[in-house]
Amino acid sequence: MKKILAILLVLCFALSLLSGCGGDTKKPAADSGKKKTFVFGDTTFNAENEEPNIDPHYAYSGWPCIRYGVGETLMKIADDGTLQPWLAKSVVNVNETTWEIVIKDAVRFSNGKKCDAAAVKACFEHLIKVHERAAGNLKIASMKADGQKLTIVTSEPNPILMNYLSEAYGCIIDMEVGIPKNGCVVGTGPFVATEVVTDNHVKLVKNANYWDGKVKVDEVTVRTISNGDTLAMALQSGEINAAYGMAYASYPLFENDKFKFSSIQTSRCFWGMVNFHKENPGYAIMSDPAVRKAIAMGINKKGFVDVLLKGYGYTATGAFPDSFAFGKGVKTVSYDPAQAKKILQDAGWVDTDGDGIREKNGVKLSIRWLTYPSRQELPLLAESAQATLKDIGIDVQINNTKNHNKVRKDPKAWDIWVSANVNAGLGDPQNFFDTYCLDSSVKNSGGHHSDRLEKLAVQLRGTFDPAERARIAVQMQQELLDDNSYIFCSFLRMSMIMQSKVSGLTAHTCDFYEMTKDLDIN
Amino acid sequence: MNSPITIRVQKVKKNRIRERLFIFLILVVILLLVSFFADKIVPYAPYAQNLSLSRQPPSAAHWMGTDQYGRDVFSRVIVGAQASVFSTLILVGVISVFGTAAGTLCGYFGGRTDSVVMRVSDVCLAFPGLVFALAIAALLGGGISNAVIALAVISWPKYARVARGQTLALKNSDFIAAARLAGDTSAQMILRHILPNILGPILVTAMLDIGTMMMELAGLSFLGLGAQPPMAEWGNMMSGGRSMLQTYPWLVLSPGVAIFLTVVTFNLLGDTVRDYLDPKNAGSQ
Repeated sequence: MKKILAILLVLCFALSLLSGCGGDTKKPAADSGKKKTFVFGDTTFNAENEEPNIDPHYAYSGWPCIRYGVGETLMKIADDGTLQPWLAKSVVNVNETTWEIVIKDAVRFSNGKKCDAAAVKACFEHLIKVHERAAGNLKIASMKADGQKLTIVTSEPNPILMNYLSEAYGCIIDMEVGIPKNGCVVGTGPFVATEVVTDNHVKLVKNANYWDGKVKVDEVTVRTISNGDTLAMALQSGEINAAYGMAYASYPLFENDKFKFSSIQTSRCFWGMVNFHKENPGYAIMSDPAVRKAIAMGINKKGFVDVLLKGYGYTATGAFPDSFAFGKGVKTVSYDPAQAKKILQDAGWVDTDGDGIREKNGVKLSIRWLTYPSRQELPLLAESAQATLKDIGIDVQINNTKNHNKVRKDPKAWDIWVSANVNAGLGDPQNFFDTYCLDSSVKNSGGHHSDRLEKLAVQLRGTFDPAERARIAVQMQQELLDDNSYIFCSFLRMSMIMQSKVSGLTAHTCDFYEMTKDLDIN
Repeated sequence: MNSPITIRVQKVKKNRIRERLFIFLILVVILLLVSFFADKIVPYAPYAQNLSLSRQPPSAAHWMGTDQYGRDVFSRVIVGAQASVFSTLILVGVISVFGTAAGTLCGYFGGRTDSVVMRVSDVCLAFPGLVFALAIAALLGGGISNAVIALAVISWPKYARVARGQTLALKNSDFIAAARLAGDTSAQMILRHILPNILGPILVTAMLDIGTMMMELAGLSFLGLGAQPPMAEWGNMMSGGRSMLQTYPWLVLSPGVAIFLTVVTFNLLGDTVRDYLDPKNAGSQ
């Protein structure tokens, strides 16, 4: 009797386990009724990426604002990097410091209010007041609004003002509404935010007042799913209709008729920044040019792209893809472990205790590699580099943390910070240097300084001719590459994966635009 | 008084237990030997990456396939036994010795120290074990040694409780009173008379605890708070292969099966030791 009871209990337990594997009956409501709803899973919409909400005037929160169709900018960046009018009808560069922008007459905020030059002016005034990076980029001295015409005067020549205004922080929001406590800013895009919960979700409804046509989907929910496995399973089960940031290892699960991919080569670069702060315990190591060169020669970029990214990328030489004029003609060292060993040997780094790691003057050649997990490729790069650098006698201690943005601000906590950024998302090279490489850069966390680079940056900022700007940008990259103070590994081929019934969700090189009026689900 | 039949039945039972004990001890010894000589017996270098062999399914050349870096999973599972098994044994050794010492002293001497130590153990027992360990491991930072420390901090009280209870029961026994009359010091009483008499339950607790501790250690590594990449440790290996469970299942199943088999072996050994030391089964001795 006891045995029968035991068997019955085991069966009940097994059945209860299996019941958990059953299909979820709560599918997105796209299948039910006439209301069209769309659920999107995103690994990157989170505080870890400085995107805690959709307020474009806060850190990098402009990215979800523009991606999810809440905000729009004056100009749009085309896939070839050129600027195209969006909210702006025309832009005239009157002289080196004056720009006249005419806003399209039809543009309305989602609350129905007309978007005129005064509204845009109020938006930019608030932006440069609260957003340090934007203020530094834009260099706006004064603005004048007259009907639909906005005149911007910059404090110094700013050839890429319109590129900067096409950055995500340039989304135009209604400042009469301001930044509400619930975070639901009012933009001009095809969707209106109704609920924002950091690290969890954003709920959107279609903008009935959309100025540029009819929006096809009624409701959108964007779920923050930072874990790649959860994302894959959510898409498989139909809990979400599309996904951004899927791990490459999961791609085979979706290479069938039920799903489709929208992929494009981007300038999102996986790259490392060296810490040059003298108070850093690793300064003796990282300040040695031989070590930096050996690190650059010890990372197997091709292996990373071909195997770990499964070909969804391409190796990087400089900061920008060579499809741009300013990405052509730069040179750097290639993967050469034997030569890297010789360089270290010649510089006095020798393995004296036989543990496989080199030493010099009692200092072990060990570096702290700071990275973060929400870009699923970064931990792969870290572990790949850890192995190849160990082969040449460099020990790598990986700190893969969501907290990387706090850690990188501590000059003693890391030796190389490896991240993923869209380096030419604005179709111009200046933003990268302005953000990461110069004395004035807000994210020059490694304290890098080069007199020549500073001079070239001044030159770049004052040059309007694109060809000349490209020439200067190449020189600036070469300066970084010659010094091996920045190491560029690869560029990403970005993909969004969606159910086959989804249409109008298209990947773009700048990685800004995702949900548009064309988004549809059948 | 037991009848001859009862004695015969007990004898047969005892012999069966002894056979089981022998089998499980052999299995454990094999496991320990494999762990100890892991570096010598692995077919491939467990940390050497070979991207051209990335994600190969199990084959004659690679019995458990290769991972995404082209490393041989079988070699990593074997080497991972070192970290997983030895870390667990060290952990159980430390907590059983410390917990037993604390519990015995508290039980024997009583007083304020007893109250304080028992209240501290109450605090440790009041939290869910793994959650408390997670908090401590997060404070200490990643690494297998920190994970061992975190689990040690929360796991000693169970030994202290067992040891204290047993000591309290023995303290007023006649043979202890006799030893006291014979002039034994407190240290002699504890070392000569109390400890030998409470070792049975402690040993059984420790044997049964090995499996639990191994799972918890692997759990911390799985969550990124134990062994760090590229260290081959079973929990860490499962974590690394988690995203490929559907596409390359051998990456998760291989270390998972290793954990399962090892935990089952130690649990069965613990059960058998308990049965062996159980006075009810001692009729034939």
